[in-house]
Amino acid sequence: MAKTYNWQIGREMEYPYESARPQKQFAMVMDLNKCIACQTCTVACKTTWTSGRGQEYMYWNNVESKPYGYYPLGWDVNILSRLGVQPMDGPVYRGKTLFDAAPQGEQVLGYLPDDLDYAHPNIGEDDSLGNMAQGAFLQLPHMQWMYYLPRICNHCTYPACLGSCPRQSIYKRPEDGIVLTDQTRCRGYRECVKGCPYKKTFFNPMTRVTEKCIGCYPAVENNRQTQCTITCIGKIRMQGFISVPDRLREDNPIDYIVHVARVARPLYPQFGLEPNVYYIPPVHVPHEYLSQMFGWGVERAIASYRKAAEDRKLLGALLLFGATPEIIHHYKLEGRYTIGYDENHAEIVRVPLSEPIHIRPLYDERHQTYRTNMT
Amino acid sequence: MRKQIIRLAAAAALLSAAGAAWPQAGLNAVRVGPAGPILDPDAGFWKSAKEMPVAMLPQMIAAPMHASPAVKELRVRAVHNGQWLSLRLQWKDPTKNDVMLTDQFGDQVAVELPIELKKDAPPNPMMGNKGGRVNILQWRAPFQRDVDHGEPDIRKLYPNSLVDVYPDQVLRATDARPYTGALGVDNPISRPRLSPVLDQMSEGWGTMTVKPDQHADGKGVWQDGEWRVVITLPMATESANSPRLAPGSSTLVAFAVWDGGTREVGGRKAWSSWVPLKLAK
Repeated sequence: MAKTYNWQIGREMEYPYESARPQKQFAMVMDLNKCIACQTCTVACKTTWTSGRGQEYMYWNNVESKPYGYYPLGWDVNILSRLGVQPMDGPVYRGKTLFDAAPQGEQVLGYLPDDLDYAHPNIGEDDSLGNMAQGAFLQLPHMQWMYYLPRICNHCTYPACLGSCPRQSIYKRPEDGIVLTDQTRCRGYRECVKGCPYKKTFFNPMTRVTEKCIGCYPAVENNRQTQCTITCIGKIRMQGFISVPDRLREDNPIDYIVHVARVARPLYPQFGLEPNVYYIPPVHVPHEYLSQMFGWGVERAIASYRKAAEDRKLLGALLLFGATPEIIHHYKLEGRYTIGYDENHAEIVRVPLSEPIHIRPLYDERHQTYRTNMT
Repeated sequence: MRKQIIRLAAAAALLSAAGAAWPQAGLNAVRVGPAGPILDPDAGFWKSAKEMPVAMLPQMIAAPMHASPAVKELRVRAVHNGQWLSLRLQWKDPTKNDVMLTDQFGDQVAVELPIELKKDAPPNPMMGNKGGRVNILQWRAPFQRDVDHGEPDIRKLYPNSLVDVYPDQVLRATDARPYTGALGVDNPISRPRLSPVLDQMSEGWGTMTVKPDQHADGKGVWQDGEWRVVITLPMATESANSPRLAPGSSTLVAFAVWDGGTREVGGRKAWSSWVPLKLAK
């Protein structure tokens, strides 16, 4: 094991290989307040990448309901219970990572899901199991709550799949940090399926090797955001690149959202993989639950998000979500617009910070009728 | 961590002792009549070869380690016909595992031979070492099933699966290739198999490579809680990556075995140290 630095847990940690950060790191931000689980991302991913033989039960992108939805079944509670209760007070995480907790003779603490765990994504997840109590009313956080969690591979800085592969069939690309499985080298041992806590490597029973989310690298190489991002009808996603905190660029919208405004948090940072998908936590969910899932800093993230209208730079970054299929490397506020630029600072998109408002009189003179907001 | 290093060192010392020592007891490959690859595990001539029990050891050198493998002993017989060497491996296995799903692993067994044998410095029995290349012939139960019953389709693995259309049903072969994953890049464990044995070479952990030229063959039969597997290879080929054997010559042989029922795969295996192998004149 080598000593590496994981900024998400604020400390050095052990990892099977020396740290070698890529020149750029693939990253994504998802706003959980806006996801409605329409599964357009899932379908876009499925039709683009996993419509072949042996991929029938494979979803590189999935959307599950929390707290009681999972794909594969029980993935996060299974690994959380194996890791055990850990101190989570942050910003320096003093508990064990999955690498610290590796059993003797193994690289990482993990478990292999049952095949059936992949069989019924989303089944029964949103069934109503009871009524609200008499006199209940909605407050924040909600008394009864749930939310949707879209997930792809986190293209971790310290991937457990890569660390647990005895054949070094998994690699992290130096140019963009995307984590890939070498389809000629893999022998289907499934150590990565066991090792990845997010369960985002999949065994293909027809080809008998592992397959995983490829971060839409052919798109990313052409400055285009991933399929799951550009097809999102709720515009909840932005895909780009993230810097380490001490090299952050305030004009990179993902850096601003994650490092400056700190409204987005990684998924289970305590696992120690430095995952690179960042989530804006849902504001209506109890903080205790969110803290377990997104670590310390959840309350601050929610407070900042709720004041996004007052932070023009944050608002500008958030309004670029879903505004263009191209990857936004830089952005700037100019007058009433937020403007996204490509890597060479050429303008690619311009979004108004506020929509024009038209107030129409209650009585429509032309049609001799009253306007109502009924449809 | 320190405890682990000490254990590793102890295991490595044990290994080098096992590798350096030249055990006296060994296998004798008797000469048998029929020409060509020797494939039948139930042929009568196996009775003429003396059976040797080989103790199988836990793999405790490289991660992932495996402290308690399921198979403790292989029973091995060897024969040759002047052109083909054949080893028959038998072991008790209450479950036949020849289907691969996320949580299902296949039974496997492997025979290892030095590609070049220097008497004073045999290769490391654990998959060789730099300068000590080994030929590893691995039989896999799922491949045997493919050979015997044809490649599985998804309806055999998942009877209730529903699929509208596959890319290869509507696209030309070249256009559908990107949707075939490892099959499309000719991964040797994905492509349809003519033989249940993979002919491979290795020069240390993590270097196992399937040879471009496949010479080995074999056949496995599971019956009454026991596998009987034959692995056969030509005694001399044109390949520089195969051992060269002749009647009357000696070499070393080592074994590895995996029980799919207890999820043994890759480094999670039982292995043996070198066993001397003498080929009758």
